[in-house]
Amino acid sequence: METVLHTDKLTKTFGRLCAVNRLDLEVNRGQVFGMLGPNGSGKTTTLGMLMGVTNPTSGSFTWFGERATHLTRKKIGAVLEHPIFYPYLSGQKNLELNALIKGADPANIEKVLETVELSDRKQDKYKTYSLGMKQRLAIASALVGDPVILILDEPTNGLDPMGIAEIREIIKRIAADGKTIILASHLLDEVQKVCTHFAILRKGSLVHTGPVEEVGKGEEVVEVIAYHDDLPHILHEFRGSLSVKSENGKFLVRLRDDFHSVDLNKFLFEKGIVASHIVTQKKSLEKQFLEILQETTSHRQPT
Amino acid sequence: MLHLLKIDLKKLTGYRTFWVVCGLYFVTLAFTTASGMEFLKWLAGKGAEFGQDLNIKRIPLYHFPDVWQNLVYISGFFKVVLAIMVVISVTNEFTYRTARQNIIDGLSRRQFLFSKILTNGLLSLMSVAMVFFIGLVTGFIYSPEIVVSDIFTDLEFFPAYFLEVFAFLSYALMLGVLVQRSGLTIILLLLSHMIEAIVKVNIPESAGFLKDFFPMQAISNLVALPFARYAFQEIQDFVSAGAVVVALGWTFLFNYFSYVKLTRADI
Repeated sequence: METVLHTDKLTKTFGRLCAVNRLDLEVNRGQVFGMLGPNGSGKTTTLGMLMGVTNPTSGSFTWFGERATHLTRKKIGAVLEHPIFYPYLSGQKNLELNALIKGADPANIEKVLETVELSDRKQDKYKTYSLGMKQRLAIASALVGDPVILILDEPTNGLDPMGIAEIREIIKRIAADGKTIILASHLLDEVQKVCTHFAILRKGSLVHTGPVEEVGKGEEVVEVIAYHDDLPHILHEFRGSLSVKSENGKFLVRLRDDFHSVDLNKFLFEKGIVASHIVTQKKSLEKQFLEILQETTSHRQPT
Repeated sequence: MLHLLKIDLKKLTGYRTFWVVCGLYFVTLAFTTASGMEFLKWLAGKGAEFGQDLNIKRIPLYHFPDVWQNLVYISGFFKVVLAIMVVISVTNEFTYRTARQNIIDGLSRRQFLFSKILTNGLLSLMSVAMVFFIGLVTGFIYSPEIVVSDIFTDLEFFPAYFLEVFAFLSYALMLGVLVQRSGLTIILLLLSHMIEAIVKVNIPESAGFLKDFFPMQAISNLVALPFARYAFQEIQDFVSAGAVVVALGWTFLFNYFSYVKLTRADI
């Protein structure tokens, strides 16, 4: 697979504060790469360095296997932190300016405005836009140069649920076109819903990186409801169960590796019990995220 | 290069403040430079009230070639209006953070600065064209006889005027890049002459030659005050090469300081 972005011990310090610490990342073509981390974990600083506005203290990075110049940046569409436009210019004029800088075909403007559903308001000044419209215009400006890579930093920040859903739809649509996307967010749910790969940053250091699919691998937890007086006992008898817990009228059965809900269902059926509810609990990215952060904290402070 | 100029003009032409300020600049510049005779008439009228006789016909304010230095000298006072526009244009880029977005979008930092410098050049050129046009028209109106060689005499004041405006706009751009806040930058810009005067007063007599090397002084030295000649005094009716060299040096330094700041800082 073709490597699009590679960073090598990328570091940025502000005085005594180390915002990004020896960061090694790799993003390949076609990935939707989520950068996760609490606020202040160095996501925006990292992206600022990758986009040439923040000077790295040490370390290096390559885009498309080459050292970055302003010409590489023309192939990338990026919005960092929040949308930035000339408030006194209309949406259309702002995009014309972006296209001029990127050397993009002005004919694209109509298309990207269509994509983010802003065509009706394109003649209005940017300062009259709502937050959701500003965010959408930002995505349009990132798309106007028909970029190979899209970088979005907290694209749903401050939006209402409908706005969030709209932006998520747009991202999915763009990803379906085969573009590589780097998405920085502290919203785990968002990353899990749209990303294929993710990295977790904590206080400027990389603590985990891998595919999103792998989240939720490992032992399974199955919720069971069935009308039987001796249910907990029977569940314990199942070869695959590690433990059985009762919670809100449901039983939570943790299974050993290689056992799945199907096996449990079959077992119950053989015992003459029909479950009215049997569901595998999905291990969320949130859980894993907190686990990883907890692990690294305890590693750091071995007391 | 034209591409960069186009980018900066696109930002400005959609900005109403730009049209208002530039409009005011060119209108006041045109009216002031064109109304010298009216001023002289007013002065003569005032003089008559006090029993003084002033024959304005004998003051060749608009005669070729006097007209060139006279108009260029007066026009020099208006450059501060353009400089304020330049300050607004560049500090806006920092307050709106659009400089950052421009670079993210694919301009290099050098190109960003260059686009601003090119606009400065264009504004300076337009000032030159305006003053030349008014000088030409008023010269033809007021000169008693048109001698072609007189029209082409002393045209060196126009390159000097261009340098005067361009150097000052470069200075304004540098202040904007360094300070990044419009209010503070404009105050500093307006006080520059005074601050420099305070410093100059305090240098010892023995180092007096240094005074011509101060930036504001160097810019003013390009075109000397011409009106003393109508009171039978010697004036410098040429552009001194030394003044040009010093002003060029400062212009280069101003833009170089902007460049250093822009390339080294996180934006």
